[in-house]
Amino acid sequence: MSAKDVIQYSVLFFVLVLAQVLICNHLALFNVAIPIVFIYFIIRLPVDMKLSLLFTLAFLIGLSVDIFSDTAGVNSMACTLIAALKCPAFYAYVPRDDKTKSMIPSATNMGLGVFSKYLFTMVTIYCLLAFVIEYFNFADVKDIVVMTAASSALSFLVILGIDSLVFSKE
Amino acid sequence: MRNLLNFLIKYGAWFLFTLYVLLSCLLLMSQSAYRQSALLTSANVVAGSIYGVTSEVTGYFHLKSINEELQLRNASLENEVLNLKDRLAELAPMVDTALFKPNGKARFDFISASVINNSTRHPRNYFTINRGANDGVETGMGVVDQNGVVGIVNVAAGNTARVISLLNETQRFSVKIKDTDYVGSLTWKGSDPRTAYMEEVPRHVKFHAGDTIVTSGYSTTFPEGIPVGRVLNRIKGADDNFFIFKIRLASDFNALSTVRIIKDFYKPELDSLKNHDIKTGN
Repeated sequence: MSAKDVIQYSVLFFVLVLAQVLICNHLALFNVAIPIVFIYFIIRLPVDMKLSLLFTLAFLIGLSVDIFSDTAGVNSMACTLIAALKCPAFYAYVPRDDKTKSMIPSATNMGLGVFSKYLFTMVTIYCLLAFVIEYFNFADVKDIVVMTAASSALSFLVILGIDSLVFSKE
Repeated sequence: MRNLLNFLIKYGAWFLFTLYVLLSCLLLMSQSAYRQSALLTSANVVAGSIYGVTSEVTGYFHLKSINEELQLRNASLENEVLNLKDRLAELAPMVDTALFKPNGKARFDFISASVINNSTRHPRNYFTINRGANDGVETGMGVVDQNGVVGIVNVAAGNTARVISLLNETQRFSVKIKDTDYVGSLTWKGSDPRTAYMEEVPRHVKFHAGDTIVTSGYSTTFPEGIPVGRVLNRIKGADDNFFIFKIRLASDFNALSTVRIIKDFYKPELDSLKNHDIKTGN
């Protein structure tokens, strides 16, 4: 990772956290669909990144969002878990070869179709984890399913839009 | 030893993973604890100042409806003042008017604050206000807006504080039916920011839909008689000995703007009495 990458990822980290806590958290469509955009940071990290660094960054971004939105533990746990599923989810749709070994997941690098599948898998698992952790023994299963479906569909679309804007030159 | 080192290097990342998951669990469990550090809440310096800036803009939302509510409140207070004046004039010839003069300072004082961050969609909702320990805000103080009860201060940092919203499954409020002594406990059960439930109401209570629910005044958090909501209907509870009422809340939690924090000057005295009771075992 070059110095430029470090700066780009740091900017992405702060912009996504602020976008999440200042805008997206307050946009609850029909009171069930919440766009979750900050996990794009985890989705976007290179696949060959050292696991220890990946887990640390994922935990940190989750913790930041938790602190701002007073949901202590919910997002930090979901982010750590989703970070562990990042590589398996990526290689479920992409062949494991030299070309993909150090790839940065994005629509331009992977092709829109493959990236969409990877993105959708990650977003859906994330929403499911986050809602199960937060609503554990509180809401009934039906509510969790509805919120997961609505939020992951909305987050998927918003992140796809962000992906076409961020670092589109690469 | 070398094997151990190799093992740690090989699986170090997964130790870290387990550590982070355990840390998250700790955070999840410490969530609603009183007197926790402000660092891990939205009342910390960074979050507080960022929300302070954005609320400069969002603070203008809902001003129209808040203004209308304030006018209504003003009208009802004016009415009450007129009624009390009439009553005073009626009674004045009969008794010594010196008895009616306020004696010394009032029991409660109010600190005004703006809500700079708010949420209503979590099972445990909190909001952040722009007044903190430097302004005299302390953990455990009650918070009201122009319509009624909205929460209890949970963490007070220097210039900001985090308030447990009434919309928080972990927080209970002692309430009663207005003008009676029927006391119950108010809880919120998620999903709808406009309704809550009054539990543990004795079965013999006579009630009507639309009855006003107010604070009971059994704690130092809220004075007696602050509106909380209105009874919608009675629902069947798990226990046959008690009623559960569905309550339409008085405050609109999606439009919280200016709130007042209640300071009770009797609190230190009452708390010391409580401690005294515990120590002497009475």
